[in-house]
Amino acid sequence: MKLSTGDRWDLIDKISKETVTFGAYKHTLKDAIGELTVKPMTGIPVAIAIMYGFWSVFGSFAGFFTDGFFVRLFDAYWLPWLQEIFPGQGGWLYAIMVDAGGIESGEFVLSSNCLESFGVLTSGLFVAVGVVLPAIIIFYLMLALLEDIGYMPRLAVLLDTVLHRVGLHGYAIVPTVLSLGCNVPGVAATRILETKKQRFIMMTLLAIFIPCGAQIGIMQDLMPNLMGWILLYLIIGYFIFGYILNKIVPGKAPEFLIDVPPYRRPLLSNIGKKVGGRVRGFFVVAIPFVLLGCAIVGVLYQLGVIQFLGDALAPVFVGWFGVPKETAGPLIAAFLRKDLAVAQLDAISDLMTPYQMITAVVLVSIYFPCVATFAMMLKEGWKELLGALAVLTVVVFAYGGLIHLIGILLGVA
Amino acid sequence: MKILLMGHPNVGKSVFFNRLTGANVTESNYPGTTVDYTKGWMKIEGEDVEIVDVPGTFSLNPKDRAEEVAVAMLHENKDAKVISVIDASKIERGLYLAMEIIEEGYPLVIALNMRDVAEDKNIVIDAGRLERILGIPVVSTVAIAGEGIKELIYRIKDAKPVNVADIIANAANASNTESAADAGGAA
Repeated sequence: MKLSTGDRWDLIDKISKETVTFGAYKHTLKDAIGELTVKPMTGIPVAIAIMYGFWSVFGSFAGFFTDGFFVRLFDAYWLPWLQEIFPGQGGWLYAIMVDAGGIESGEFVLSSNCLESFGVLTSGLFVAVGVVLPAIIIFYLMLALLEDIGYMPRLAVLLDTVLHRVGLHGYAIVPTVLSLGCNVPGVAATRILETKKQRFIMMTLLAIFIPCGAQIGIMQDLMPNLMGWILLYLIIGYFIFGYILNKIVPGKAPEFLIDVPPYRRPLLSNIGKKVGGRVRGFFVVAIPFVLLGCAIVGVLYQLGVIQFLGDALAPVFVGWFGVPKETAGPLIAAFLRKDLAVAQLDAISDLMTPYQMITAVVLVSIYFPCVATFAMMLKEGWKELLGALAVLTVVVFAYGGLIHLIGILLGVA
Repeated sequence: MKILLMGHPNVGKSVFFNRLTGANVTESNYPGTTVDYTKGWMKIEGEDVEIVDVPGTFSLNPKDRAEEVAVAMLHENKDAKVISVIDASKIERGLYLAMEIIEEGYPLVIALNMRDVAEDKNIVIDAGRLERILGIPVVSTVAIAGEGIKELIYRIKDAKPVNVADIIANAANASNTESAADAGGAA
């Protein structure tokens, strides 16, 4: 037998009257803190403080391990040792695995650090383990704390009005923040949005404008003074193109109702499990891709494919985006891993002005989702994926050109 | 045997799942942590039992993709038992989903989770009486602390389909006996 909605509620009313007693409700300290972090007057300053704290801890923790430990380990011991023992110096296998080196006055010279060497075992391992690993460990640790305390739904409430402008609602902050760790769970989390329109807008914006933790980690280490501008361009892009998508994508963007859960004390065991699981995922999925990406780019260099692409696309790179044609290599690497692409851009930084570097990194971020994100989007629906790629193509050319134009107007490009 | 963990978002289904199966699915304090189902295994009295962590849903009329996964999971497993996880501090809405599942004929056990939160709010639930009215096992739990999990496992075998008409009759009887008792007390 099935009841109508009304009858079902009547029955539940009767049952709860028989079994539940509601005592006087006391306003506790937890409730007070809960309200302070949701009301805009107090909530927004608290949110800014939390973001700032997040950022400071992230930067100093990652910097401490990368600059204080891994850079020395890799550049002073690992690289010279490999350069020494790996056979066939100057050959193609040596170039791909250890050091592509350079030619100075007709002679082959070895690289002096792990970024410029471009080898799978040197650059690849250094980027994955030396730079990105510390960054994502601290990122996931702090994300797990925010998740388990129960802060995310409060952030959602605070940002609801702003996110409505781009066709989403406050809860879109959950996929967005998850994407700042890795876009793959971010794309999966779009399932909590109600309509197709919202899911499409969200997925497209994530894939284009949200840099993942690995990319943020490497930017933080290699170009700390440019990163603010890069992130600013990405955030502005998120809102400009979100606004446009909201106007042109058909469908509804409903209001959202949310249960804001009480604050809870995070359990150490749960935090440990979550961070452990995510870091394990990084080892299993991300590190092989970094190494593979490094190898593919190395092989393509050896075959002359990247030089050929660079020359062929030079008018687009130089004329439209205002970046040197050598960015072709990093852009290919970006399809596999964005962190690797940023590292390769940094390795050719003497070819670029700071403004060109900003443009190049923004391009690497927005031009194509990495292969893991691509696969996840395909799993969510090929129509959405094709749509997102169409939007992406337009965005890359429009926004890339716009950034170039801004540079010209500022006199720096 | 197959058991589905069902309930509203953020009531602790994933916590139960990890406790029951020793697995490692993500647990967080926000609705919508689980957007796809996860399967795991446990042994109950020597029998291998498959447990499924189902995404949270408010009702059997899905309103987003994660809820669609939940409802499809239920309907694809007609022979499954269901552990209905209810936030004890919001019991009425939890019972709504539980009733919907009961009406579809599934054998059910209710886990009244987050008893600690309910106590903080001065909400007291007579689990025994709820069990008599519904005719299915009702167990109070605090899943993150592991309280009540053993009893829940032990009671799974008592889950059986119940007729809604019986529940209606029990609810009416319960209120009658109480008013009778009240009348007796007054006299």
